[in-house]
Amino acid sequence: MGIEGIFDRRYTRKGALGVGGAIGIGALLAACGGGGDGGSSSTAAAAIDAASEPGGPIKIYEWAGYEAKEMWGNYLTGPYAADSPLKFTFLENDQQALAKVAAGTHFDIIHPCVAYTKDWLAAGLIQPWDTSLLPDFEGIPAGVREGGMIDGKTYHVPFDVGFSTLTYRADKIQLAEGEESWNILLDPAYKGKISIFSDDVAIIKIGHLINTGKPVDPNILTTDEIQAAKETMIRAKPQIRNFWNSQTDTVNDFVAGNVWATYTWPDGYYKIKTHASMKDVDVRYMWPKEGRLAWVCGFVLSSATKQPGRAHAAVAAANTPAVAAWLTDAFQYGGAQQQGVLDLIQNKDLITAFSLDDPTAFESPRAWFEKPLANRKEFVDAATEVKAA
Amino acid sequence: MTTATETAEPPVPGRKMLSRTARERRSGLTLSLPAIVILLVFFIVPLYFVVRFSLGIDRFARTEAAAELTGELASFSLELWRDFLGHGVELEILGMATIGLPLAAVGVAAVALVLGAVGGGRLGRHGGFVSMGCFALLLAPFFTIPWGNHLLRVAQLSSEGDFLRLFFKSVTMATTSSVLAVAIAFPIAYTLAYGVRGSKYTWLLIVIAPFLTSYLLRIFAWKVILGDQGVVNTALFGIGLRDPEHPLSFLIYSQFTVILVLLYAWVPFIVLPMFIALQAIDRKLLEAATDLGASRLQGLRKVTLPLAAPGIVAAFLFVFIPSIGEYITPSLVGGTQGYMFGQAIAQQFVGGTLNWQTGSVLSIFLLAVVLFLTLATSKFLRQGGGTVA
Repeated sequence: MGIEGIFDRRYTRKGALGVGGAIGIGALLAACGGGGDGGSSSTAAAAIDAASEPGGPIKIYEWAGYEAKEMWGNYLTGPYAADSPLKFTFLENDQQALAKVAAGTHFDIIHPCVAYTKDWLAAGLIQPWDTSLLPDFEGIPAGVREGGMIDGKTYHVPFDVGFSTLTYRADKIQLAEGEESWNILLDPAYKGKISIFSDDVAIIKIGHLINTGKPVDPNILTTDEIQAAKETMIRAKPQIRNFWNSQTDTVNDFVAGNVWATYTWPDGYYKIKTHASMKDVDVRYMWPKEGRLAWVCGFVLSSATKQPGRAHAAVAAANTPAVAAWLTDAFQYGGAQQQGVLDLIQNKDLITAFSLDDPTAFESPRAWFEKPLANRKEFVDAATEVKAA
Repeated sequence: MTTATETAEPPVPGRKMLSRTARERRSGLTLSLPAIVILLVFFIVPLYFVVRFSLGIDRFARTEAAAELTGELASFSLELWRDFLGHGVELEILGMATIGLPLAAVGVAAVALVLGAVGGGRLGRHGGFVSMGCFALLLAPFFTIPWGNHLLRVAQLSSEGDFLRLFFKSVTMATTSSVLAVAIAFPIAYTLAYGVRGSKYTWLLIVIAPFLTSYLLRIFAWKVILGDQGVVNTALFGIGLRDPEHPLSFLIYSQFTVILVLLYAWVPFIVLPMFIALQAIDRKLLEAATDLGASRLQGLRKVTLPLAAPGIVAAFLFVFIPSIGEYITPSLVGGTQGYMFGQAIAQQFVGGTLNWQTGSVLSIFLLAVVLFLTLATSKFLRQGGGTVA
């Protein structure tokens, strides 16, 4: 599959949250993660023996585009590929994935984002990884790993990280240095010219960042703050032309001139920036003074899998520096795996374009990585009101 | 020697008839079996579970911890129904006077008006007026002239309840689409039935030709046509009616767009039942009307329209029923202004909190409205609709 094809399919992704790609990411997530020492969290190490496990496919619930051979090559040339080939089903967002698996569909490995780890565990759908079976696990910074740890056990092995912020046309939205802000959503000059991701949590976080006007963690909000954020986003609705579900759609809207600013992930920005019709347009990836939103996604292991050893082998194959570098080249995302990755990335421009070599880029207050939310229902209810208003 | 025939008892007509009736009944049952199985598996059983969800008997969350995240109820309760229906309704007339009403009163009035509109024609001499009056009153709050972002309305129903307000909005969009679709399709069907000689089925095929392409493809085509830099706006720029900096922005991502795309999608489809209804009218009745001095318009009003009424009503329902629960069209071209009830239902099942209980309440309410409309009109359709005035 060509890169272009990967892009197109990857655009269906949503459910953002996260973490970044450089060394500094770890320090950031240390502040927001679960707990524990980040070491091996083996609960059944002695029982896991991939060789004696039954054959049959390893079912992976994965984002479209991530079925690429570049990602799983080490497994495909390994000892279990013939007996247990990888079988992919594509997920569209975290909520839908959780609903589908909770409704009884079986997968051995699922690729949700870290903020939903507690939901998966609360629903009794996942079990901890034995990190001693993942040779490159230590290459993931401790702070990044901790986001997926609960009670000292690793339930989520981080894989990909990235930003979520506004891509905008600087010729239409003229902002001075240091003036970039989420509050352009309230500016009537941009009426009907901004598009936002339909994710409920993101909508309320943006409302909160607008309200504060300064970098304040949008993950920890009181009921009053959520209500205030809701009111702000209702006021912003005249400017918001669309709550997009597919990044492909919003990229198309942007290059077609229907919107001047849209919430995107790094690949969305890159796609717009390199689009032929944007050749002479100054397109920028906003760094709001309130901070970017950011996300980290990774692998969880089904509690019902009968092939935990082979599932570990598959995830070990994906969790390598080479795959992390490929991830940046193909999708402009950062890899959670950091060990020597910058040297392996072929398109060095991406490193600076997405600040992969800047430790502070992925730290608060410049970026806010998504965390598990104790009161997510309040976020969602408020965002539902925004959409229905 | 006697033959077996001679010694046999003479056949008993009643018994023979009885056995034939039993055979026919068995045969009818056998033939209906696939339909019954389909109804049971794909409607009754799912409906049973959806009802249980709506009453809090079942829930999506399998554990207490998960239920805390989804906010679902633990046992039987009417709370969700109260949350949904326990809001007052405001009726705004001509944008000036606003009257507060209990929802129950609105429901009773709507049911009475539907029954009056459907059954009024059978009340005697003035039945037609009763029928038309009820229909007009029923439509008044739900019909709009979808022009620009400022929709022209006679009356409007609103509510403090988010979902109820969204429901009224969806009914308005569905009703407007249905009325306009019928108004556009009827002249086409009439021309095909009475104005075209010889090749009417070829013309009919041409009318329904858009169905030969994918629905999604057609929607995306509209995005190209209606975009800010799309075909329509570019033409307006070309002839100097609009400035490129100020395109007609309501053409895309608005209620207007949703109604337009629904019209485009459904008009060809409903030409068919109306064409069949018009074809079935005995021409001699029209000739008799002409012989008795009726003008062409009187013939249309007093003969053609009443006899074609079942086809017209069926066409209205064909558009209204799928439109009221529309999900795809508003998701793709509705934007923030065209957000509909169907999207809110989907949001409850695969987005946000995964609150299947609330989603079930909304689904059942929508189903109840559609079922009522279908049952109310089915008798009318069975009886052949109106009578010649």
